[in-house]
Amino acid sequence: MSEINLELNSIVMRFGGNQAVDHVSFSVVEPQLIGMIGPNGAGKTTLTNVMSGMLKPTNGTIYLNGRRIDGHPPYDVVRAGLGRTFQITRALGRMTVMENMLVPGLAIRPRARQADIEARAHEILDLLTIDHLTNELSRALSGGQRKLLELGRLLMLDPAVIILDEPFAGVHPRLQETIYSYIHRVHEDGKAIILISHNMGAVFELSQRLIVLNNGALIADGEPQAVKSDPAVIEAYLGEDE
Amino acid sequence: MGLLLRIEEAVDAGIGRRRLGYALLALIVVYFLWFPNDTTQSNYAKTVFISGFFYAIMSSSWALLAGIAGQFSFGHMAFMGIGAYVAGLAARDGFAFLTPESVSSVGAIFIGTLVAGLVGLVIGWLLLRLRSAYLALFTIAFSELFRIVMLTEYDYTGGSNGLSLRPLLQIADVDTARQVEYYLMFALLIVCLLALYWVANSPVGLFLRAMREDEDAASALGVNVVRYKILVFVFTSMIVGLAGGIFYSDIGSERIIPEQLEILQMSLIIAYAVIGGMESLIGAAAGAFIARYLLEATREVVITLPFGLTMADGADAFVWEPGAWRYALFGLVMVLTLRFMRNGLLYPIITWFSGRDIVMKETVAKRESDEDHAARLEAGDE
Repeated sequence: MSEINLELNSIVMRFGGNQAVDHVSFSVVEPQLIGMIGPNGAGKTTLTNVMSGMLKPTNGTIYLNGRRIDGHPPYDVVRAGLGRTFQITRALGRMTVMENMLVPGLAIRPRARQADIEARAHEILDLLTIDHLTNELSRALSGGQRKLLELGRLLMLDPAVIILDEPFAGVHPRLQETIYSYIHRVHEDGKAIILISHNMGAVFELSQRLIVLNNGALIADGEPQAVKSDPAVIEAYLGEDE
Repeated sequence: MGLLLRIEEAVDAGIGRRRLGYALLALIVVYFLWFPNDTTQSNYAKTVFISGFFYAIMSSSWALLAGIAGQFSFGHMAFMGIGAYVAGLAARDGFAFLTPESVSSVGAIFIGTLVAGLVGLVIGWLLLRLRSAYLALFTIAFSELFRIVMLTEYDYTGGSNGLSLRPLLQIADVDTARQVEYYLMFALLIVCLLALYWVANSPVGLFLRAMREDEDAASALGVNVVRYKILVFVFTSMIVGLAGGIFYSDIGSERIIPEQLEILQMSLIIAYAVIGGMESLIGAAAGAFIARYLLEATREVVITLPFGLTMADGADAFVWEPGAWRYALFGLVMVLTLRFMRNGLLYPIITWFSGRDIVMKETVAKRESDEDHAARLEAGDE
């Protein structure tokens, strides 16, 4: 089991006058399954981009296992142990499924034998039911298969903390089941997962802890049942009383 | 078609396409090695081949930069020019603490190559945040800037008259000299192609392609996009800097002139690569060589009239000098290539020999929708 200690301290992300993330702090210290929810525009994806290094926060710090990672480029953050998927899948289109898997494999383990990395890739593709697509160009994959490929690439990186941005969106129910079992399995492997989804059923079913964002601020953080009855959360979802 | 199919079957069953491809490649190399010994060929023909080799280096290295790494740069000719100009200046005026006398022609070319690489490093770093059209515009501006400085600073660079480099070879006999120059340029082409292929087929090549597809995604997958973007600029700049230094050291041409650095010349490099196949290094090299050859061969086209017909002046042949029309035709070929064969005219041939289409046919599953995939999983569950 990999060490997990992720700590966000008062993260602020401003775009001009717009405060997309407003002093968000939380920490992850055990292999938890954490749901991150919030209405549209709450700042979930922006926060993900800040955590994964695609955006440099205006203010605040992020530590992962003792290393400061805020403002570091994504390839550094990934090496430190935090990986993410994208809301809109970003397959490397004109590369085969296997090449899509080799890129992260070779990037973080340059000294490993390619045959070993390929074997590991086959294992993961098999788990994700897309092993038969190994030599297919990834642009030829269906929407759901691309989601699966992204999850596979993430496993090649073997990060301690995984952020899944809308993994179920637009995916066939049967393939969603594959993603469910993937999440369970990765979690059992001792990794922390932050799951962002509009699929409330899935979030409540899977999560051990819920983080709720609204207007860029963290308004609740705790056990799903407690969060569900939190007045601030209800207000955020049902609208304010004028 | 029947015969062709039978040949294809025989090849698939027996020798294997890849081996046949290598054999053909070896034959081509042997032909090029033998060519200067062909007594029926003029020195002019050798000169055409020498320049063909030079442009093959330019196009194939650009194919690595643009086709494989996705950095659509217009600065390639400028880097070549830096290699040549710096070599020329170093040999004439000295370099840093070195006196002109202490700089040999090889040393000058070495310095030119290093400086080209250094400038590549700076430009690569400046281009880190620029993509596609912005990158192209930036490199056009850089290239023009360099050309205009070379043109304007005529006290140092000779202006539009160009700059002579210290000759690399001192061979009195013209025929022997041409022969040695030919082999030197051919050897350089082979070495450059091997180096380019070595990079393209290494994990670095894989990372470069990943960056071409999606730089952010590649970065999120752990690829150090900063390092590889700079690396590819330094590497290709050094290759063309070296090629420029050697070619203009009286091997292919006796002086480098700013005209060589015009956008038109850069566009030709791109056109050769596109016609041959931008994503194939050997395709781009072959495209450049063949195009250079055809552009030379069609300077004057002599068409012998059939059936004993004669021209008004009594000549039995019609001489057509297409002049600039050759470039117009060439442009037409490029337009058609881009529209109908995006991967270049040589792509089908290269694919056939690599046997990639067989691998695809045998191992690639039929495309399926999410529904079909789900249905297959359901069937498997029972």
